[in-house]
Amino acid sequence: MNATKRKRPPAKGRAAQSSRTPMILVGVGVVVLAVLIAMMTVSGSGSSVTVEELAGSPQVQSDPLPPFEGDPASDTALGQPAPEVTGQGIDGSANAGQDVTIGATGQPQLLVFLASWCPHCQAELPELVDWLDAGNLPDNVELTAVVTGLDATRPNWPPNDWLEREGYTGPTIVDDADGTIAQTYGMSGTPFWVAIDGNGQVVARAAGQLPMQQVQALADALAQQS
Amino acid sequence: MLFVLTAVVDRTLALLALVAVGISVVCLVALVRGRVPSALRDHALALATAVAVVATGGSLYFSEVAHYLPCVLCWYQRIAMYPLVVVVGVAALRRDLQVWRTVLPLTVIGAGISSWHVAVEQWPSLGAGVCDATAPCTILWVNEFGFLTIPTMALIGFVTISLLVLVAARGTEDRA
Repeated sequence: MNATKRKRPPAKGRAAQSSRTPMILVGVGVVVLAVLIAMMTVSGSGSSVTVEELAGSPQVQSDPLPPFEGDPASDTALGQPAPEVTGQGIDGSANAGQDVTIGATGQPQLLVFLASWCPHCQAELPELVDWLDAGNLPDNVELTAVVTGLDATRPNWPPNDWLEREGYTGPTIVDDADGTIAQTYGMSGTPFWVAIDGNGQVVARAAGQLPMQQVQALADALAQQS
Repeated sequence: MLFVLTAVVDRTLALLALVAVGISVVCLVALVRGRVPSALRDHALALATAVAVVATGGSLYFSEVAHYLPCVLCWYQRIAMYPLVVVVGVAALRRDLQVWRTVLPLTVIGAGISSWHVAVEQWPSLGAGVCDATAPCTILWVNEFGFLTIPTMALIGFVTISLLVLVAARGTEDRA
């Protein structure tokens, strides 16, 4: 008498299948729990300011500078006329909404290009504010902060709140969403410094956080040339 | 709406990173003591696959949905992490307990790059000293609980996967 034997999966395979199911359930449970905790604990508030609301509409009246290659000593822009750009001060700044011109203004200028999301700019600005508050900027030298790199998805948005928080009260000019002013001046990264003499010519460009002694040296050199 | 969704995803991934830290601690203790619980050993490769999947999925969400731009260091970490989904996943299905020989070179390199990226985030002066306008490596796209940034979570992922494949390999010695 031969009974038909049903073929059963090997015991080891059945054990593996049965032990996998609880593990999968635990894994899914952990993920679901994490999502629920996340939903309950995140705040839905972000800044409602859009790039379009904050961006300026700069007008470039002259030729752009070549891109900065990184070496101030061999910069091909030295001696070239600084591009004349007309724009507006950023909301909340000392010259908010006013027309601002940088480039050939007839007065020595220091331009500092800042992006609010840039950690180097975040380190630079407080030092710059302290330097300005101490009265170190020569009277005949203008310093203008060019607010560029506008991106509402990046940290530390909006930039005008950042400037106010850090106590910067000097003149500003806000770039457009495409970074037109930054491109016109050949900015390679932020922070970016441009020194322009009284004849409207570029005498120095530098990228990266500058020690205030170096900024002082630039400002003093510009003051003496006017 | 996208802002809220991204905030939830950020927080979820951070919480899962903390779970991975817990798993890593358990694995490390087991390896040091020389006694690996059978439940951990039997599911180690599956867990490692899950870590790789979550890390890869999170990375793709950040770039493709949240539009966080990956910098060059992000790309190098992706090169180390993305293949692990397939390598460890196939090993889990085939119960290839020797997969650590293939996985560890990737995870060690990936962890090294993640560590450097974490250092550059913490001390931006270590990098170029300048923020790239397009894709800077110094930007903190995510910063949960004050320390969980994207490269930090990637580092946790690489370490967790490394320890899990070693735990799985330890199982062959226990059975010998």
